Amino acid sequence: MLYNKYLKMHLKSSLEYKANTIFLSMAQALIFIGEILGVWLLFLKFEAVGEWGFYDSLLMSGVVMTSFSLMECFARGYDEFPNLIKNGTLDRLLVRPVNIHYQLLGAKIEFSKFLRIILGITVSIIAIINMNINWNILKIIVLISMYLSGCIIIFGLMILCAGISIYTIENLEFTNIITNGSKELAYYPINIYKKWLTRIFTFIIPIACFNYLPLSFLLETGSIPLWLCGISPFLGMLFIIPCLIFFNFSLKKYQGTGT
Amino acid sequence: MKNINISIFKMQFKKELQYRAKAISGITTQFFWGIMYICLYTAFMSSELINGFTITQMAAYIWLGQAFFSLRYPGMHSNAGYEIEQGNVCYKFTRPINLYNQWYYEYLGEKLASALLRFLPIIIISILLPTNYGLSMPVNFSSFILFIVSLIIGCLLCVSISMFSIYFTFVTLSQKGTATIIVAISNLLGGSIIPIPLMPNSVQNVLNFLPFRYISDLPFRIYIGNIGITDGLIQIGISLFWLVTTILIGKILIKKALKKTVIQGG
Repeated sequence: MLYNKYLKMHLKSSLEYKANTIFLSMAQALIFIGEILGVWLLFLKFEAVGEWGFYDSLLMSGVVMTSFSLMECFARGYDEFPNLIKNGTLDRLLVRPVNIHYQLLGAKIEFSKFLRIILGITVSIIAIINMNINWNILKIIVLISMYLSGCIIIFGLMILCAGISIYTIENLEFTNIITNGSKELAYYPINIYKKWLTRIFTFIIPIACFNYLPLSFLLETGSIPLWLCGISPFLGMLFIIPCLIFFNFSLKKYQGTGT
Repeated sequence: MKNINISIFKMQFKKELQYRAKAISGITTQFFWGIMYICLYTAFMSSELINGFTITQMAAYIWLGQAFFSLRYPGMHSNAGYEIEQGNVCYKFTRPINLYNQWYYEYLGEKLASALLRFLPIIIISILLPTNYGLSMPVNFSSFILFIVSLIIGCLLCVSISMFSIYFTFVTLSQKGTATIIVAISNLLGGSIIPIPLMPNSVQNVLNFLPFRYISDLPFRIYIGNIGITDGLIQIGISLFWLVTTILIGKILIKKALKKTVIQGG
């Protein structure tokens, strides 16, 4: 399969510079550790925020970091889409007889994100061990679906930003609010924020679907019906559909940036 | 000698001013991050009050941080890092100027220009926002003056700490990795990830002994009145000490690195 070839090629190329890849992944893991320490320090000072404690936030950080790093690793092509437009690589991809999404997924695979994925999973495990959850099959399914939903929603956001960059061409900083901003918000259960902000990130960008909604299902708390919380991760996955439609529509309008 | 350094600074400054679209997009970004952080910390602070740091002060702290974003964190002189990685730095060796000074002034120009392009719109918009969301006025005139003084020292300190990243690039030959590490450390210890007044007291005591919080935390807290005039003056003294120390160590390290550099091939 073509994707396997892509995968092998990227793995080989990152292993060429072994020391560099390791150093870089350690540096990036350090940023994540710093952010987690920030969350911890805040909870040392305040103990709780609303109904949530430190380990609830830690699980949220773990979920968002795992899914975000997974997507940064395997869907990097969308992240770097503005560069593909600027240096004309996109035109080259478009004339090939392979689906553009398939090529973008193979365009770049960053193995230096692996350490962050591992850290994200570790953090989640630490949180889950320290939380009081009465486990049953349904809850395990919801827990796994949180990660899946996180991946798909973040993937949707990356596709959305790539779509926007077809119009702006330049890799403008403000698209980073959409992806990185959502990520940063999701370090905490997002219903701690002001109502309007929570609503935006529930109904427009469905961060809540891998955040406090399934969390309240796991803990059996909150005022929202539990069945709705339980299926919310699956509802959130639908977010990728409008993103894909927008991207494909924009790509049809794409005229190239000249040579 | 002074003249060369000043013209280096001017050149880099003008170069940065070229990127206006980048600045506008940056301002929008900073604005949204500011709102987001204020919402986050308001959520924490409304559940429990802490002494001497109100929500209004917190909002001002966040806005100052967004306005002077580029002066907040030590980073990597982009050109120098690239040149060291690629080996082009050897051309610099042939020139009769002090490399440390050149990099210092270039990076200072880069930082100042990007701050000057961004800070005014953010300050104006954030002053117009309602209380508890917006930027409040400085507590009094003398603390405003002290704020300016400490901000200037903080900016110089930020650049002098950034110079270490050039040294570590000589050692590791990976500018991206080095820059990431320096930013990660200074963000946490300097109060960019969470404001230092929101950290536990024991942690705050430790951070007082490190240079990072004197970059931006000190000026911002003087502005909002969290640190008084006399305390402020003492701490400005400490930040001056750190400025001199970091420059001296930086100069020694860069000199050492330059001596050790081996240039292969041509």
